Amino acid sequence: MASGERRGQNLTRVSEVRNVVDRVGGAMRQLEVALIGAGLIAQLHLDAWIAAGASVRVHSDDGRAGDLARERGVRAVGSLADALDGADAVDICTPTSSHHEIAMAAIAAGVGIVCEKPLSASVAEAEEIVTAAERAGVPLYPAHDVRFGPPFARLHELVAGGHVGTGAVARFTFSAYHPRPWTGHASARSGGMLTDQMLHGVDLAYWIFGDVVRVHASYQGEIATPAPEGAVATGTVILTHATGALSQVVSRWTATPSPPIRVAFHVSGTGGTVSYDTAWPQEIHVVDGEAGSFGHVGEPPFASEIGEFARGLMGGPEPRLGPRDALAAVRITQAAAESAWTGQAVELPVEVVA
Amino acid sequence: MKVAVLSFAHERAATYARLLHAMPGVELVLADPGGAADDPVRGPRTAARLGVSCVDNWDEVFASRPGAVVVTSEVAARRELVERAAEAGAHVLCEHPLADKGTDAQAMVDACTAAGVRLTLASPACAGPAFAAVRQGIAGGAVGELTTLLGTYNTPATTRHPSGAGALGANAPFLLDMVDAVLGGEPAAQVYAQTNTVLSGGTGAESAALVTVRYPSGVVASIDCGWSPAANHAAAGPVMTFIGDRASVEFTTSPRMLGGVDAATAAPRWETSATDLCSAVLEDFVAAAGTGQASGPDGASGVRTLRIVEAAYESARTGRSVDVAAPPSTRP
Repeated sequence: MASGERRGQNLTRVSEVRNVVDRVGGAMRQLEVALIGAGLIAQLHLDAWIAAGASVRVHSDDGRAGDLARERGVRAVGSLADALDGADAVDICTPTSSHHEIAMAAIAAGVGIVCEKPLSASVAEAEEIVTAAERAGVPLYPAHDVRFGPPFARLHELVAGGHVGTGAVARFTFSAYHPRPWTGHASARSGGMLTDQMLHGVDLAYWIFGDVVRVHASYQGEIATPAPEGAVATGTVILTHATGALSQVVSRWTATPSPPIRVAFHVSGTGGTVSYDTAWPQEIHVVDGEAGSFGHVGEPPFASEIGEFARGLMGGPEPRLGPRDALAAVRITQAAAESAWTGQAVELPVEVVA
Repeated sequence: MKVAVLSFAHERAATYARLLHAMPGVELVLADPGGAADDPVRGPRTAARLGVSCVDNWDEVFASRPGAVVVTSEVAARRELVERAAEAGAHVLCEHPLADKGTDAQAMVDACTAAGVRLTLASPACAGPAFAAVRQGIAGGAVGELTTLLGTYNTPATTRHPSGAGALGANAPFLLDMVDAVLGGEPAAQVYAQTNTVLSGGTGAESAALVTVRYPSGVVASIDCGWSPAANHAAAGPVMTFIGDRASVEFTTSPRMLGGVDAATAAPRWETSATDLCSAVLEDFVAAAGTGQASGPDGASGVRTLRIVEAAYESARTGRSVDVAAPPSTRP
C-alpha cells in the first residue's frame, strides 16, 4: 500500500468537519446537543461539538457547568429535563454509574444518545438501554474514541478490505500511568481500574474480528478503587471470536510515567501482518538529552468522532459505532472481570440483533 | 479566488491542479502553451479530467487577472512568468529553484517586492504543523543552543530535475529551506560539497552529494541530498536532526504509522500517517494570498538557498571551500 494513499487524511478530516459546519450552519437547521457533565471529556467533546457547528446546552450536577458554558460561550441549564427539552441528542460525559438514568430519560424523551464509554458497568443495564433505544428508534453512539485514531481506523480498513486475509491472531496492549489518585468505587470483582482501559483493546478486537464467544482473563494488582496514584495492575485477556480468530488484550497501569502511555498492536492473518507501536518515533523525536515535552501531537480523535456522530444525527451516514458495539464492549469486559475473579473461562452467547 | 497553474513541466503540476480544484473558493485556471515536445496535450488532458479549461497562451492567462499563480514551468521560463505575475498583481508560488542564476532570482524577488505581491517557494518539508512545532521548540530553547543541523533527503534515482541538474540541485533546496527557517534567514558564510555519479552509472548528473554549510553564528549544517538506490519510504526523508548543547531532536516529515508484512509479496508493510504536505503548502499559500500572512520560504529565502547551491556546485568542481557572496542589497 503506497504511503501516498494515506497522506491527506488529516486534512480530509478537517475539511469534512468544515463541510458539516457549512451544511449545519447553512441550509440545514442547527443540531441541538445536551452535554451532561463538565469534566475533562465533556470539555473535549464540547469543543468538538462547537467545531461541528452544533448548538450546545450544558448541564452538570457537580456545579461546574456554569463555568464551562461561560468559558466556551454556550448555555448552561439547571436540570436534566431542561437539557433534554428540544435537544436532538444528549452527550453523556458523567461518571459511569449515572449513564443508565440519563440514557433512559433521553430515550423516553426521544432524544438521541452519545455516551462516554462504558455504556454501563452492568451488562443488565447496558442491555436495558440498548433494547429501549432500539425499540424507540433512538440513535445510540458509544464514544469509543480509539476507533477514530488514525492507526486503528486504518487497521480496521485493512482488515475489512481483506488486506490481512482471514484473521488469525491479534494482540493489543494499552498501558498507562495514572497521574492522579483513583476515585470512584469499582470493586475488584467488577474489574476495578482495569475495566475502562481494557475496553479499548476489547473494542478494537471486536471491531476487526467480530463476535466473541469465550473470554479468559487474569487480573493482577490491587485493582479496586479508590486507589493511590501510580497503582500498578495488569490484566491479560484471551478472546475467542466466533470465526475462530483469537485476540490477546493486555491492559496495564504502570509504576512510573515513563512513558506516560504505550499502545501497541500486532494483527496477523493469511494475508500478512499489521503492527503499530506508540514507541516508534513520530515527526519529532528527542534522540539525546533532555528536551522536556518537545514534540508534536496530531489532531485528537474527538473532532473526527464527534463530527461523524453529528452527521449521523443529522441523517447522514451511520457512524462506525452503534448500540451493539456498546453492548459487546460491556459484555466482554464484564466477562473478563468475571473470569479473572473465578479463574474460569466465560462463554458468551453470540449476539443476535433483537 | 482565481488561481492559475502555469505550465505542466514540473512533475507536481498535475497534483497541484487536482488539489486546487478540490479547494473551496478556488477557481482553477490551467495554462500550458505548447505543452512538451513529446506530449503537447499534457495540460489539456489534465484540464479535461478536472473539467476545467486549459489556456494555450500566457497573455490570456494574465489577462484573466488571477489572484495567485503556481509556477511549475521549466526553470528557464520562471523569471518571465514570475515577473508577469507580479505585474498582474498575482501572488506567486514557485518551485525550486527560482532560476538558474542568483542574479535572475534576485530580479524576481525585486519584481514581486515592487509589485507588492508575495513570492513563496513550494517547500513541503517546511509546511504543516509538525515543522511549526520544531521551529517553535528550537526557538524556545528546547535543545539549548543550536549548534549543528544534519539533514537527509534521498529521492528515488528516477527523479530527474527539470533543469537537468542532478541530486544536489534537485534535493538540497528542501533541506536548506528548513535550515533557513530555523536559523531565521541567516545568510551562509561558506560552503563545501562533494558529489559523485555512482548511482547514475558514472556519467551525467551527480547522484550523490554531501554538503556542509557554515554560518557566521558558528552553526554548521551538513546534508546528504543524493538519490536513493531504491524507493525507500523510511529512509527517504526529508529528515533533519537538530543538535544543541543540551539535547538533539530528529524531525521527519513522514514517520511510520503502521508496520508488518504483506504475505503475498513478503514485502514489509510501511504506512505513514503524515499530513499531505503538498496540500498543506497549497492551503497555506491560498490562505496567505487572502490574508497577507506569511507562509513558507519567501523569495529572499529562495535566493539565499540558490546561492548556497551555486556555491556547492563550485565547491564540488574545485574541491575547495567556497565563500558565499553576500546578496546585493535589494532595490528600494
